[in-house]
Amino acid sequence: MIRHWIGPVILGGGLGILAWHKTMVATPDVLMGVAVQRVSEVGGVNQFTHAPLATAASRTIVRPSPDLAYSSCPFDLTGGPLLIDAVPVPSPYWSLSVFDAHTNVALVRNGEKADYQPFKLAIVAPGQTAPTGYEAVQVDGTRGIALVRILIDLPARFPAIDRERRATTCRAA
Amino acid sequence: MNRWIRYLICGVLGVLIGAGGAAWSIRIGALGSAQKIGAWTTGKDYGTAEASAYTRAVVALRGLLALPASEARYYNAAVDSAGRPLEGRCRYEVVGSGLPTKWWSLTLYDPQGYLVANQPGIYSVGSAGLPSAEQAHWSVMIAPDQQPDHWLPTGKVPRFELTLRAYLPDDGGKGNFTRDQLPTITREDCA
Repeated sequence: MIRHWIGPVILGGGLGILAWHKTMVATPDVLMGVAVQRVSEVGGVNQFTHAPLATAASRTIVRPSPDLAYSSCPFDLTGGPLLIDAVPVPSPYWSLSVFDAHTNVALVRNGEKADYQPFKLAIVAPGQTAPTGYEAVQVDGTRGIALVRILIDLPARFPAIDRERRATTCRAA
Repeated sequence: MNRWIRYLICGVLGVLIGAGGAAWSIRIGALGSAQKIGAWTTGKDYGTAEASAYTRAVVALRGLLALPASEARYYNAAVDSAGRPLEGRCRYEVVGSGLPTKWWSLTLYDPQGYLVANQPGIYSVGSAGLPSAEQAHWSVMIAPDQQPDHWLPTGKVPRFELTLRAYLPDDGGKGNFTRDQLPTITREDCA
């Protein structure tokens, strides 16, 4: 009787291991897709949304930092590269990071590395090329998020920084 | 019983147990569970292709869009320095020294990773807001009710977690802060 179950149990064990691995690998992609969708609903795709400082009411992203002003550009490269014209804000901390569909960081550049000078990036999917004058940043997949973080050391500085950060733009090529 | 029904039963059970076990494991996983230092847990491979599938899944759930170690280090605490869960009805003193980083902040979250509502709207304490005399040695009270000096309200939630962010670490994120460098979390009393 037991020997009738040996084959099915081996199959079940194999499928269990496979399901475990597939779930682990798929989870970041699914959660990133949800995040891209949520941010897109607020301000659209391929353009920056400049969020207010995080509060207890903030639910778009888990574990937001209340000390940082976030500007996010959810992107979709199916129609071509995403062009980012970045203008670092003179804050104690400014950075631009680009996350791909698998949550990997394709690029992170802070204000110090950029000497607080404007720079231009083209986020490209495999097979796409960057236009002249833009530094190519290749990502895996076609969707992701470009995120600007700015430290708000004094709350009174936020209105001025909020105006200045809008000089950074992203758009489809 | 037909042999194909036996295969079907075991196959379906295997998939359910495998997928369900993975989901449960991710759900109970702590941010930065790779290394424990005192009350704090941390990891160094956030946002990189080198991260394990488990690390990537937990970070995606608990700290999506985290930066790599060279840019920021994340230390998370769900317990005090004695190993007891952090409770919103209790009062804690968090004492720290000058961390080797450009700036740091300490933020209080609920277990789901969201900021906790409180009347004054205080969610974090950080080096950028401390006077220069306190940069090398600082103390913050975490409590449900207002405290005389630096106060981080618990909002009286049953449980909470603390995240210490250290941006632009002096060592480029190559190593972890030591137990002596990381803040201590001491429970004073409970309501």
